[in-house]
Amino acid sequence: MKSLPAWLIDARLSADIEPLLRQNDAASLERLAAEAQAVTLRRFGRIISLYAPLYLSNFCSSGCVYCGFASDRTSPRRKLDTGEIEKELLAMKALGIGDVLLLTGERTSTVGFDYLRRAVEIAARHMPRVAVEAFPMSVAEYRGLAECGCTGITIYQETYDPENYRDLHRWGPKQDFLERLETPERAITGGIRSVGIGALLGLSEPVGEALALLRHARHLCRTYWKAGVSVSFPRIRPQEGGFQPSFTVSDRFLARMIFAFRVGLPDIDLVLSTRESSNFRDGMAGLGITRMSIASRTTVGGYVEADATSASQFEVCDDRSAEAFCAALRAKNLDPVFKNWDAAYNNPLATEERA
Amino acid sequence: MDSLRLGTYTFSSRLILGTGKFSSTSAMLEALRASGTQLVTVALRRFNREQAEDDLFGPLSQIEGLTLMPNTSGAATAKEAVKAAHISRELSGSPFIKVEIHPNPHHLMPDPIETWEACKILAGEGFIVMPYIPADPVLAKRLEEVGCSSVMPLGSAIGSGQGLSTADMVKIIIRESSIPVIVDAGLRSPSEACAAMEMGCEAVLVNSAVAVARDPAAMARAFAKAVEAGFEARNAGIMPRSGTAVATSPLTSFLGAAS
Repeated sequence: MKSLPAWLIDARLSADIEPLLRQNDAASLERLAAEAQAVTLRRFGRIISLYAPLYLSNFCSSGCVYCGFASDRTSPRRKLDTGEIEKELLAMKALGIGDVLLLTGERTSTVGFDYLRRAVEIAARHMPRVAVEAFPMSVAEYRGLAECGCTGITIYQETYDPENYRDLHRWGPKQDFLERLETPERAITGGIRSVGIGALLGLSEPVGEALALLRHARHLCRTYWKAGVSVSFPRIRPQEGGFQPSFTVSDRFLARMIFAFRVGLPDIDLVLSTRESSNFRDGMAGLGITRMSIASRTTVGGYVEADATSASQFEVCDDRSAEAFCAALRAKNLDPVFKNWDAAYNNPLATEERA
Repeated sequence: MDSLRLGTYTFSSRLILGTGKFSSTSAMLEALRASGTQLVTVALRRFNREQAEDDLFGPLSQIEGLTLMPNTSGAATAKEAVKAAHISRELSGSPFIKVEIHPNPHHLMPDPIETWEACKILAGEGFIVMPYIPADPVLAKRLEEVGCSSVMPLGSAIGSGQGLSTADMVKIIIRESSIPVIVDAGLRSPSEACAAMEMGCEAVLVNSAVAVARDPAAMARAFAKAVEAGFEARNAGIMPRSGTAVATSPLTSFLGAAS
C-alpha cells in the first residue's frame, strides 16, 4: 500500500497556526477576529462572491455513514435529464445567480462522466462560472470537463484521519483514502483552474483535522502555483440516516478555525455554505469568509419544484431567499456579487497550455 | 495645470480609480464623483448583462466625462487577456485596456512574459495599452518599444497597503521612460500618492485604499488633493536633499584657494 504523503504528516507545515487553534479564551478569539477582518478587507475589500449549488442527481454508489445520499438510504432516487437541467439553470438565472456548483453522488452506471460532461456543457451556456462537486475522476476526464467550460471542482476529503476514514466509508469507490486525497492534483493537472477542499467537521478530532486541511491547502498552493485553491468549512448537519458525529464542533471553534485560516492563508477564498445558520453566516461574512452559497436547494430539482420529493443530502440551515441574504450582507456594508468571473477566461486552449 | 496625455486622450485629473472592492455600487459612484477622476478601471468579470443590479459597467457609463479603462483581471495568459480585451472593447466602446495578467490567482502578481506578449498584440490592434507590471525597468522599456501608452508598475502587492515599497525601481523606470509612468497598486494613504507624484509619476491608480476606507468619498477627495499637491510640488522645483552636514573645518582646505 502507498504511504501517506509527507505534507499530510509534517506538522512543521502548520506549526505557525496550531497555537491559534489551541487557545480557547474569548480575548484571543476577539483579537484573531480583528486580524482576520483586516486581512480580508485588504485582499478582498467589501466583496462577497456568491454561488449556488445545483443537485443533478442523488444516485450514489458509496456507503458514507454520514450522508443522506448513501446507497442504502431508501428515499427515491432521481436524476435530472438535460431538459430539466436547463430549466433549473434558468430558474437560478432568474434569481441572479452567475456561478453554479453542479453536484452528484459517487459515480454510478446511471450517473457517470458522460452525464456530468453534458451537464457542464449546458451549464456553461447559461453561467459564466461552472464548478463541479461530484466523484473523483481521471486527469483525462478532468481535461474533458475543463474543455466544456468547467473552471473549478470541489472535493472534500471528509476526514484526514485514515483510520476514521476507513470506518466511515463502508463500501464503494470512495473507500480509497489516498485516491481521494490526490483528486485535487489530478483536476489541476487536467486543466481545472481552481479546486475547493474541505473536511466534514465533526468526523474526527477538530484541531487535527483543521491542521491537516491547512497543510493540504498549503501543499496545493506551493506545488501548483497557477491553481486557485479555496477552503470550505462544512459541519455535519442532520440527514436521513440519523448519523451522530463523534466530535462536537462549536460555533466558537469553527469561527476560530476560519479566522486562523484567514491569517495562515491570507489570499485564498474561504467558503461558507447554507449548512450554517443565518446568524453564524451573517456574523462570519467578511471576517475571513469571502465566498458564500445562496438560496440553496439540496434536493434534486429543487429550484423548479419547491416541494421536490427526492432525498436531500443534508438539511439546509440558512434557508433565506437570495434577496433576504443579500439585504443582510448589505446591512453589514458588504457587497454581494453574483458575477465575479467571465466566460472569456474559460478558453479551452489556454486551459491546455496551463496544464 | 498640464494635462495627462494617454494615447490621443487628455485628462486634467491625474488620479485613476479602481471600481472593485466597494461596499456597494452607489458608494463607488459617490467616491468617483468626489474625486473628480476622469479615468476609471473596471473588470470584465464585473460586467453583468443578466442582472443590472450586479453590473458595474452600466452605472459607470452614466457618469458624464468619465472614460472607462476595462481591465483583464482574471486572465492567466496573454491569449486570455487578448480575448478579454476584445470583448471589453465591444462592451465599453473604450479604446483603453489595462492589461492585467496574473497566473497565480492568490497573490495577483503580474506575469511579465505574458503581459509583454499581450501588449504587443493589443498595441498593434490600436488599443491604448496600459499594462500593470512588476517594477522592472527593463520590462518597462520593452513595453514602451512594443507601443504601450503607459506603464503601470506596482508600488507593492495589490491590496497590501505597503505603499511605495518599490520606490527605487520606480525611480529608474521614470528616469528612463518616454511614456507616462503610473504607480498602480499598494498605495495606502494620500501621502504615498503625493510622494509618487513628487517622484515623477504622471498619475496614480488607487482602488483598495479608497474602497475600504470608512468614508470612501472623503478618502477619494483626499487622494485627489494629494495627487494634485504632489504634481504641483514637482513642477515648482523641490529643494534638493542634502545628505551630509558641512564640516566647520573644511576637509579640502589643504588644497588652497581655487585659482
